[in-house]
Amino acid sequence: MVEAEFPDLRADWLGCACADHRCDRGVGERLALLASRLNGRQALELRQQQVPAAYRSFFRQVGLDPDQQLTPIEQAVLGRLFSGGNLPQDRISDALLLALLETSVPVFAFDAKSISPPIEIRGAGLDEGIGGVALEPGALILADSQRPLCQLFSPPQPPLAAGAASDQLLLVAILVPGVSAIVGDEALTIAAEAISGG
Amino acid sequence: MGVLLLDQGAGSDLLFDLEPDLDQSPARRTLLSQIAQLERSLSAAACEAFPDRLDLEQVPARGPRVQNLGELELLRDHLIGSLREARTTLAARESERAAARELLEQMLLDPAKHRRVRISQRDLGVGGCGVWSVMPRLGPMGRLMGWWRVKLSSGCPLAT
Repeated sequence: MVEAEFPDLRADWLGCACADHRCDRGVGERLALLASRLNGRQALELRQQQVPAAYRSFFRQVGLDPDQQLTPIEQAVLGRLFSGGNLPQDRISDALLLALLETSVPVFAFDAKSISPPIEIRGAGLDEGIGGVALEPGALILADSQRPLCQLFSPPQPPLAAGAASDQLLLVAILVPGVSAIVGDEALTIAAEAISGG
Repeated sequence: MGVLLLDQGAGSDLLFDLEPDLDQSPARRTLLSQIAQLERSLSAAACEAFPDRLDLEQVPARGPRVQNLGELELLRDHLIGSLREARTTLAARESERAAARELLEQMLLDPAKHRRVRISQRDLGVGGCGVWSVMPRLGPMGRLMGWWRVKLSSGCPLAT
């Protein structure tokens, strides 16, 4: 049903290694550079650019109000405005933020050992849940070949989420209708290179 | 047939309930496209209103899911209402700004007739914190002599 309604909605994924979890200086500098280019008007006008606009439209179409539950890119940009900068956290979070700010495509990191690709976006079935919490039937979820991983656009939770002990990651980009595959590839490549130090 | 029903407001899902063999997909595609178009128009209105905010009624939201036809129609109708409200607000604001611009022109042409009148840059729809005001030249002397002029204050107060 999801495929019939949104044929261009998809999840692309890419594996990468993470040997060092400390913040990368180069990534920190790129985040600082991106932060320095931003002001309030730009943050608002972002919603008129092609990729962020596609995410806002998709949010509406699946029953979310993008003014209440912000799209990932708008959340990141508002976070930057409120905190005064893109403050470094850890290598994985910094890499995901960098990919998001560069491409407007959200990328999530999973511990590769806990995930069985292929990854798909589908509606939750009856009696399905995540971490013991039941899902509303039909809720859009990210799932691997065995189980639901997280609700669409919600960050994954441990033990599925990549953490300080994860050395092999699976990066997943969510692409909505109107966003081309090449932008998703770019987001995954930026995140993977920032994590593996390539 | 489904497409024809779209203009009749929410409730066409009832007909599809009665006629389960009818194909909903053309109606759904049309609604999804209308919702995307309305969202783009609302985004444009929000940007036009900057630096002011458009306080529009929010849509009650649940988690992300494929919505049924009735929900899509309600959402489309809600967005149409929001867009109409946004455009009315923007038009009223533009009308106030046009009046303020006209008053400023009058002040500049004849300051003595507009003594002590003040218009902020915000009233004119211009960025910044400056205020246009009609002041006497040389203080009390100018007031007594009728030497009035229009002055623009230097801008935002310093942060304390």
